[in-house]
Amino acid sequence: MPAGSFALAQSTPPHDIVIANATVMTVTHGTVEHGSVWIHDGKIAGYGATVNAPADAVKIDASGKYLTPGIIDPHSHSALNNDVNEATSPVTPSMMMIDAFDNRDKALYQALAGGVTTELLLHGSANMIGGQAVVIKNKFGLSRDAMLFPNAPRSIKFASGENPKRVYGSRGQLPSTRMGNFEVMRQAFEDAKVYMAKWDDYNAKVAKGEKDAVKPAVDLKLEALADVLRGKLYVQIHCYRADEFLTEEAIAKEYGYKIRAFHHALEMYKVGDKIAPTGTAIATFADWWGYKDEAWDAIPWNAVMSMHQGIRVALKSDSNDYIRRLNQEAGKMVRYGGATEEEALRMITLNPAWIIGVDDHVGSIDTGKDADLVIWNMDPLSTYARAEKVYIDGDLFFDSSLSGFGTTHFSGVMHDASGNGNDDADGEGGN
Amino acid sequence: MNPSKPFVTAAIAFSLGLCPALSSAQSAPVVDMSAAAPTVAITGGKLLTITHGVIENGTIVLSGGKIAAVGTADSVKIPDGAQIVDAKGMTVYPGLIDSETNLGLSEIEADDASNDLVETSDEIFPNMHVYDAFHAETEHIPITRLNGITNAIVAPASDDSLPGQDIFIQLAGRDRDQMILGKDVALPMNFSGEQRRRGNGGVKFPSTRMGLASQLRQTFIDAQAYAAAKAEYQTKLAKWQKGDKKEPAPTEPKIDLKSEALLPYLRGEKPVVLAAYEGYEIEVDMQIAQEFHLKVILNHVTHSQEILDKIAAYKVPVIVGPIYDFPAANERYDSVFTLPAELSKRGVKIAFSSAGGSSGNPGGFERNLPYAAGYAVAYGLPYDEALKAITLNPAEMWGVADKLGSLDAGKLANVVIANGDPLDVRTDVKQVYIEGHAIPMVSRQTRLRDEYSK
Repeated sequence: MPAGSFALAQSTPPHDIVIANATVMTVTHGTVEHGSVWIHDGKIAGYGATVNAPADAVKIDASGKYLTPGIIDPHSHSALNNDVNEATSPVTPSMMMIDAFDNRDKALYQALAGGVTTELLLHGSANMIGGQAVVIKNKFGLSRDAMLFPNAPRSIKFASGENPKRVYGSRGQLPSTRMGNFEVMRQAFEDAKVYMAKWDDYNAKVAKGEKDAVKPAVDLKLEALADVLRGKLYVQIHCYRADEFLTEEAIAKEYGYKIRAFHHALEMYKVGDKIAPTGTAIATFADWWGYKDEAWDAIPWNAVMSMHQGIRVALKSDSNDYIRRLNQEAGKMVRYGGATEEEALRMITLNPAWIIGVDDHVGSIDTGKDADLVIWNMDPLSTYARAEKVYIDGDLFFDSSLSGFGTTHFSGVMHDASGNGNDDADGEGGN
Repeated sequence: MNPSKPFVTAAIAFSLGLCPALSSAQSAPVVDMSAAAPTVAITGGKLLTITHGVIENGTIVLSGGKIAAVGTADSVKIPDGAQIVDAKGMTVYPGLIDSETNLGLSEIEADDASNDLVETSDEIFPNMHVYDAFHAETEHIPITRLNGITNAIVAPASDDSLPGQDIFIQLAGRDRDQMILGKDVALPMNFSGEQRRRGNGGVKFPSTRMGLASQLRQTFIDAQAYAAAKAEYQTKLAKWQKGDKKEPAPTEPKIDLKSEALLPYLRGEKPVVLAAYEGYEIEVDMQIAQEFHLKVILNHVTHSQEILDKIAAYKVPVIVGPIYDFPAANERYDSVFTLPAELSKRGVKIAFSSAGGSSGNPGGFERNLPYAAGYAVAYGLPYDEALKAITLNPAEMWGVADKLGSLDAGKLANVVIANGDPLDVRTDVKQVYIEGHAIPMVSRQTRLRDEYSK
């Protein structure tokens, strides 16, 4: 197909749209049969059996269709052109994933076609303390800047367990054990405390008007670690084993930061009652297991058991493949543990939104939230569900009924980073 | 009604009677297939027979490890003394068949000591036999069968052009002899970039597809020459034995295990499974197969959209997928999802497997086999064809359709009871029978679940 043949005029979306007659799964307020959602200037302006939209609103008839909030993936390595791990040191907190973000990667398009509207693009898991994430809205075809989620909180990726110890141990370096892993982390925070003290001292002198105060050197690495200790970064930790959740929480308490979420977290079902009071969420797989030692005790009931223990649970892809069908992964939760459809859907919408820190804006169909919406041909938790239309900020970005790619804003050539989007694309620091 | 209730009794009886060590969260229960299989009547369920449609409120009788009768409630007589399993509200279907797995060849992928996937010191290893490495006690098998998969091909990994010969298994038995139903049932022949020797240790022959193709041709030519030498020896020997034996007896050719392994395939007695992804790879691989008159099953073909009519014209069955293989950049998002429908539309007999594809990760979790079939339905494959692609079609392809693949009297009693559509991710499998034995619905994973639910 000739490149560019699908370039459509990037007209501004209408001020008012009503998607009518759909089964509206709000995630927060139950399901409305034959419901409508009114979009005004990119925000959800109302929903329910009827809406008070102006008469000239563009009406989309969604009879027989299902409408959900856009799917949110809290753990993706897409569109980083295989620059996922700066695996040259176990502590690299000043790496910024935005500096590797390629907004034309085909993985973004394929995820969009699966109904994914927001992604947290994370550093890999080779390092105990990796880099800082970028949050995107999947407005495929727009510029890099236009795809960034406005004002999203900063997140940083930590890892633990097999990957750091394998990557550095295989080179005869520290860490090569879990003991080494955690000690590397403690040392990093001790260094950060010294750095912070220097700056506090300097700032205090300046405040007192001391003219001869010597300004300390800015160190990007220590500055980023200091921001962890200052609570300015959401800490997202790759962590599999029950003992390691407990160790991570103890270290976080010792140094005074909060853990936003454990990622993978395949053994959370063993200690969910102990972790729940910390407020730390999990972003887990539906049913992956056994591919490595620390995934050996993985069970597909983990998500629902953890949920019942009081943990906020999200499902995530960590994969350019599964990101295309996270709705089915959520569907499995109905089977494994008996989640309600709303609970299952929350695991791929509102809960990942909370992990990323954007749940005030996305993740459910609520008045005032961004109009990130997906129209499905049937119940999205079914194997047979397909995303038919995907709206982001009230603008249509994907329509499967269109020929060609089905995109409305993309023209030109997609890029292909190859690989599967796991963070072990370079053979190091796998999931 | 509590849909799981009918099965509670059977499960408890099993755990008390045959499996006293269920409290440990270690290995899965052992099922001894040499024990007599009971007579069981499964009543009231929706039967997906595969060969003769759907029977609502049907009855199926299992006896002596086989299906004794299938039909509507009023047409099937329940034998005296049969154990009655109430499957009202349930769906009943034949055990599913996975057409490519590594079950028993790898326990923990990242743990090399647990892997016996493939020999890579040569590209040509038809004399490797999966049955020599098959670990019957793998935890993967009990976990997989709990989702209704009762039979599978086990193949070596695809790093070699000819990596060794497959086995066909059933997913229950107390040892490998009970589980392996067929040895050396097929020979994978892989032709993709993957087999090129361009590893970290440097480049060696064959480092290109030209090299791979040439090496395959030479291999089959050598095997033909070997066959000819053996035939010539037999002729000479017969002549010598009839003669006065004054001359010394003819010398028997030295046994060559590699060529020897290829002989049944050169005679077209068993299928060669040609694995390739791109259209041009399939054409090259098929050309070689036709030169040597091989009986072919195609595998993968995930990027063959431009030659689908040609594939149909080959008149060979196709294991299609993984359908989760990624479309190339600048292809439509569903170009691989729709492939099963496109092939089926052209009259190609298709099957599915859980094996991974060209891009690494996709695939790999055997228990999810039915969902690939379901996703193909979402993208246009007729439902009945999808179900056949994991039951009757593979049974035919692997030469076991007289025993497996449908709910028909006389076939092995591999039967699954679930609370809904087998292809839907939300459906829970309630009971699996393999050769008439009620499989305990217990695995290492259910035990961990139960231990930590206390």
